[in-house]
Amino acid sequence: MVMPIDPALTLSQWFSPAYPVGAFAYSHGLEQAIADGDVEGPTSLHQWIADVVHHGSGRNDALFLAAAYHADDPAPLDARLRAFVASKERLMEADLLGVAFADITASVTGHDLGGLTYPVAAGRAARLAGLPLPLTSAMFLQAFVTSLVSVGQRLIPIGQTDGQKIIAALAPECAAIAQDTQTGDLDQLSSTAFLSDIAAMRHETLTSRVFRT
Amino acid sequence: MSAETMVAQEMSLSHLSSSADAPHVVQPRARGRLRVSSKLRDGRSVIDELHQAGSFKVVFPNTSRQTLEAVTVNTAGGITGGDRFNATFEAGADTQVTVTTQAAERAYRAVGPVAGSLCTDIAVQAGAEFAWLPQETILFDGARLKRRMQIDLVADAGLLFVEPLVFGRTARGEALTDVMFDDAVSIRRAGVPLFEDAVRLTGDLTAQMARRAGGAGALATLVYVGKDAEHHLGRLREMLTLTAGASLLAPDILHLRLLAPDSFILRQTLVPVLEHLRAGPLPRVWRI
Repeated sequence: MVMPIDPALTLSQWFSPAYPVGAFAYSHGLEQAIADGDVEGPTSLHQWIADVVHHGSGRNDALFLAAAYHADDPAPLDARLRAFVASKERLMEADLLGVAFADITASVTGHDLGGLTYPVAAGRAARLAGLPLPLTSAMFLQAFVTSLVSVGQRLIPIGQTDGQKIIAALAPECAAIAQDTQTGDLDQLSSTAFLSDIAAMRHETLTSRVFRT
Repeated sequence: MSAETMVAQEMSLSHLSSSADAPHVVQPRARGRLRVSSKLRDGRSVIDELHQAGSFKVVFPNTSRQTLEAVTVNTAGGITGGDRFNATFEAGADTQVTVTTQAAERAYRAVGPVAGSLCTDIAVQAGAEFAWLPQETILFDGARLKRRMQIDLVADAGLLFVEPLVFGRTARGEALTDVMFDDAVSIRRAGVPLFEDAVRLTGDLTAQMARRAGGAGALATLVYVGKDAEHHLGRLREMLTLTAGASLLAPDILHLRLLAPDSFILRQTLVPVLEHLRAGPLPRVWRI
């Protein structure tokens, strides 16, 4: 007899750093903010990530993820996400993470997610696999936070303990945003993490770079 | 759905919910409606249709240029709660149209829960070029403003779009502690989303901008759609300060975001950038 799998185990696999989407290669503009000296320690790193999660890509991606979860056809949402990103590298990040996530998830689950940006692909995959939405969204957001913390650990650098403290402090906020955004109402989109968007644009001309974005 | 219908639906709902809590005397508020379209005559862009009603007027400075320049005037002197302004612009095939505002638009303190609204629908037909160059919108403390902008481009239409936004009268040290600003821009080409932006800010904007915008008192969003977009990127980057960025979203789409301490300093960067992209001066109203 096959036991049903706990959704948390599937999601923890999808959003683990070991799942080969390559999230570690993208800094979302944080590398530029560190190069500019705007982020230089645990406190400023925590604030920068919190602002992006609450007022920038984090919350907006959660809205797109939820909208994709509810949609019969994700293609129009995917087109809107591509139009909504603020910069060329942000578009590349959403696109290439989506391609990698779709490839590995298709191989593992058999679900076709071809051509979708990462948040839309994640919402689509959760729908097709019958996984619960708020948990999918919360874990997607936490993976985003974890990835940004690892950028800070590598470049500032800050220690592992400080990094894990930031992830723990933002966990309830990831869960709250996942709850808030679960209707997938795109009239709630709002991009006001202005400095982070500008940093992502300026990263395109950063000469000495470790990360792709 | 047009920008106007979207807001009309949402506003009627918000009005119902607010009137349920406390009976509220609805004051007569400003209404304005504007429609301008252009056509080509003897190789020049001229007015085709023109309708104006209420507190929204448009004037056409006699510029003897090939471009049709329209300057909108809010005769109510600003926007406050419950005001509704709707504008529709259409650039006919192969015409060149520039729309600007006679002055900075002021969003004043709203009395009551109903926001003022400003909805703009723009259509740019084949071979046409449209420039949306309003002067600054200034948010005052207590302002409640909802703006919707829908721009539809035919395949080879060109666009220069800018929206400068100022957070209060910073020179007077005025803080914005209670503001509702709900702004969404959507640009489509042949029905496909090309660029979207949304800025929704509620509450203490001065505190919020302190962290997320480095305390900036002014910002501008700029989008340029044209075959030569890529060609401009390098030069534009050289013109920007450290609190501004430019990115090529696609080979023919440029997006710029600029932050500045105040509107005066914003213009020091924004005006040269716009003049570069226009390959010419800004409308006269920008210079007086």
